[in-house]
Amino acid sequence: MSSKNNRLKYFSWFLTKPRTTGFFAFLFLSTIVGYIGYQQYKIVEDDEQYAMRNKLQIIRQNIEQSLKNSYTTTLTLALTINDKGVPENFDSIGKKLLASNQTISAVQLVPKGVIRYTFPMKGNEAAMGLDILKSVYLQKEALKSIRNQKMYFAGPINLKQGGVGIVGRLPVFQNNKFWGFSAVIIKLEDLLKSSGAYGIDSAKYYFQFSKIDPASEKEVFYLPKENKFSNNYSAAISIPDGDWRIYLTSKHQNYLYAQIVIPAIFGLLLAGLFGFLITLMLKKPAELQLLVEQQAANLSDGEIKFKSIFDQAAVGIAYMDSFSGYFLEINEKYCKLLEYSEQELQNRTFQSVTHPDDLKEDLSNLEKLKQGTIREYSMEKRYLTKSGKIIWTNLTVSPLWNIDEKPSTHIAIVEDISLKKEAEQLLIKSKMSFKNLFDDSPMPLWEEDYSAVKNYLLELKLINESGKTVSSYFRNHPEVVKKCFSLVKIVNVNNQCLIQYAPKTKSELLNNVDLLFGEESIPSFSKHLEAICKGKRHLMMDAKIKKPTGEIRDIHFVYSVLRGYEDSLERVIISTEDITERKIAEKKIIDSQKRTESLINTIDGIVWESDIESFSFSFISKKVEQILGYTSEEWIASPTFWADHIHPEDRETTINYCILKTSQNLNHDFEYRMIAKNRSIVWLKDIVTIVFENDKACGLRGIMIDITKNKEAEKDLKYSFNMVTEQNKRLLNFSYIVSHNLRSHTSNIASIMSLIESSDSEQEKNEMLLLLKSVSNSLNETMLHLNDVINIRNNIGLVSESLNLNQYVETAQNALSEQISTHNVSILNEISNDVTVNYNPSYLESVLHNILSNSIRYRHPDRKPIITIKWLIEDKRKVLQISDNGIGIDLVKNADKIFGMYKTFSNNPESKGIGLFITKNQIDAMNGNITVESTPNIGTTFKIYIR
Amino acid sequence: MTKKKIWVIDDDAIYQIIITKIIQKTALFSAISSFRDGKEGIVALINTIENKELLPDIILLDINMPVMDGWEFMEEMGMLQSLKNENISVYIASSSIAIEDRNKSKKYPAILGYLSKPISLNDIELIASND
Repeated sequence: MSSKNNRLKYFSWFLTKPRTTGFFAFLFLSTIVGYIGYQQYKIVEDDEQYAMRNKLQIIRQNIEQSLKNSYTTTLTLALTINDKGVPENFDSIGKKLLASNQTISAVQLVPKGVIRYTFPMKGNEAAMGLDILKSVYLQKEALKSIRNQKMYFAGPINLKQGGVGIVGRLPVFQNNKFWGFSAVIIKLEDLLKSSGAYGIDSAKYYFQFSKIDPASEKEVFYLPKENKFSNNYSAAISIPDGDWRIYLTSKHQNYLYAQIVIPAIFGLLLAGLFGFLITLMLKKPAELQLLVEQQAANLSDGEIKFKSIFDQAAVGIAYMDSFSGYFLEINEKYCKLLEYSEQELQNRTFQSVTHPDDLKEDLSNLEKLKQGTIREYSMEKRYLTKSGKIIWTNLTVSPLWNIDEKPSTHIAIVEDISLKKEAEQLLIKSKMSFKNLFDDSPMPLWEEDYSAVKNYLLELKLINESGKTVSSYFRNHPEVVKKCFSLVKIVNVNNQCLIQYAPKTKSELLNNVDLLFGEESIPSFSKHLEAICKGKRHLMMDAKIKKPTGEIRDIHFVYSVLRGYEDSLERVIISTEDITERKIAEKKIIDSQKRTESLINTIDGIVWESDIESFSFSFISKKVEQILGYTSEEWIASPTFWADHIHPEDRETTINYCILKTSQNLNHDFEYRMIAKNRSIVWLKDIVTIVFENDKACGLRGIMIDITKNKEAEKDLKYSFNMVTEQNKRLLNFSYIVSHNLRSHTSNIASIMSLIESSDSEQEKNEMLLLLKSVSNSLNETMLHLNDVINIRNNIGLVSESLNLNQYVETAQNALSEQISTHNVSILNEISNDVTVNYNPSYLESVLHNILSNSIRYRHPDRKPIITIKWLIEDKRKVLQISDNGIGIDLVKNADKIFGMYKTFSNNPESKGIGLFITKNQIDAMNGNITVESTPNIGTTFKIYIR
Repeated sequence: MTKKKIWVIDDDAIYQIIITKIIQKTALFSAISSFRDGKEGIVALINTIENKELLPDIILLDINMPVMDGWEFMEEMGMLQSLKNENISVYIASSSIAIEDRNKSKKYPAILGYLSKPISLNDIELIASND
């Protein structure tokens, strides 16, 4: 079985592969043709060989015949030799022999190897006397012949007498003793002629004659070698008598091929044709097979498709019995729709699940179908599901019988359209509500047709024109605008329109568009037309409208093209909200705002409003530009503008104060500096009010007043006050000094006077008078001092000069040179030579003298006095510093006294308490200042500040 | 009645001569000592205590003096513990007529009076009899 199967398999394999099979067939047939061709060739070749051999055989026989004749001849010739070894009648016998044998051209007798006799002599003289046995060329053959005692044919050789010939030599023995040779000479040409070799078809063959050279033992060919010859196509036969070979060679080597090539080609063509035919033959069924398979696949594919369509369809499909109405096959969707399982439905009829209201129509349709009046029907109908729910479906029924057949079954397709039904319901509802919305809208609504307007504008070629052109056109042609307005067709209006625009009925308004158009409407309607020309579908603007009563009202006009009418403008919705009252109110507000603003701007202070938390400003009056240089916009743009521009020194305290007061909900006012745009400092008084809304603090308002001038005045005032206070203090001090010093003297005088009065002795009186004199001197001195002081104070217009400081230090040193040397004082002057000061010369001299002498006076008794003079800059102020290592002053106690008049701090008799007092006054007069630092027992440093 | 010891602390040399003359004239005091400033006065007080000598009964004190003025003298004297139980009467004798000085003197309980220069014989007698 299996082998059969295998065979079938191979067979079918060949069947299904026609090209391969065809090729194999071609190969097979070609092999057969080749074999036959070869066999044919062999036969022809054998025939040819045979024919050639035959021919050669005949030639050999002829040659051998000639040789035999020659043998006979030589024998005959030998018989002419008598017993004495001398030939008798040689010539006559020779003549006879030649005559009887045509091929022989001459006969010879060669006694003892020397050619002695020759017939015919004529032409052969050259060979006479030749000793064969001594000729190198002939010797070998001759000796062989003697040895064998046989006739031997030598040659072909070039004959002495000319030409090529064969010499047959028969050794002749007399009494068993070699006598010599009897010889014949045969011309090769004659030999071949007699052999019939020349009778061979020279067109077909070459003839060749060869001999093995006895000397070289090489084969020598004697006939002209026309062509090389191969063994295959030649035949050869040996002739032993002369060691010769004769050949016959086919002249046309390809002759044999030509014999078989044509049939072979023909055979191959036949094989090819046959292979091709097989291919064609086999191809046909293979194609048919393929077609069958495709059809089969298509069929099964279709079946699967339909099955899956049936099962997976998004619509319910059922296969129904048309008579009973039973479900035969139901798909999943159908089951799902009706909520029954497949088995349950197979036991039911469609009548049982159809809504009773739709059953009648369904049945009548089915009846028509059965009668053939219709070929299918579809209807919207309701089903009752298992749970009693009603579902809306679209049913399509198609019969499964042909027109001329009896009704049998049909297909019912149901589509769930419950959603669609719902949507339809909603749509109806929304349509209703839209209608109500339109009719009962509190805003006047108009449904209008602008197509005529658009067409008119098209005629005028204004559509899509540039805005400029259009607007100038309308300006110059108000009648066009009016015409356009009259072309507007009102389709419908709502109730509000009727109320606002007076006519009692809709039709009255619909037919009287002009009722609403007045001169006032032209600008706004022109604008509207421009928008239409630009192709705008929505437009909102404020416009004016004329009521039928002639009253002009402000309206907010909204124009909107309904979807689907964008090109034709056949349907547009327009609303005209009456905003007359609002406009009036707005105008009032704007007027009041303007008034407030102008009022605010007239206030000589910056009015502002800010957030209560962040202090970011929401309003700031224009005055800010005048006072601080910033524009309101600049200020508002940054939420931290205010804080950023407060003077850095005031910023923290100002903001903290504001935060504190605001958190306590307290109105407050405070002063701070701000940096103006031109970097100048502006003093502001900020009066802040907290704004309450519903008892809740919600913002800050205030006014910033420029108080820079007040502040400056205040500063000046403070300065003058300080100056006056200072002067007053000095004055008081001075009057005190005057009173104290004078009083001490006057009291002394008074005491002395009373003592004089009460004195008992003249001596005492004189004593007192002396005392009085010294008091008088003291008083005088005091008066001089006071005079000095007064002089300093009076010198308001002191002359200052640029002075070299070092020069003055030197002068002072010179003035004190005696004391300096006495007390061995070292003065270290560290001032560089180029320091100059602007000072009154005598004051500078006095100041330096007083301080230096002071330092010398209060030197420490235990150490060498050292005074250091320096020039430094302290906080941009020029300072002349003089330090000593003297006894020092207890500044804790004496700070306020040191520069006082008659204040001395030691009992040094030189202390008068006037030097530093005058020094201080002089420095003050130069607008400078003097300070002192001192530690008792260490030293004192004076610092003189020079302006 | 034992004669009292009186100290005069004043930097005015002429005044010292005059007041010594006046005191001598009254003949109410057993001893008169003069000091040029408060510092000298304090040093003298300390020395007197250390040497267990007789302390003054009355001190005439000037206010404006170099080195140590009258007020400073009062402060220093108040700090001397050993004088707590001693009865030293201090009288200011100043040429100052400033009300501040007069008021200031009232702050010190040890100061019994404020005398304005010139000091007369009667003034001294009054002081002497005051105790």
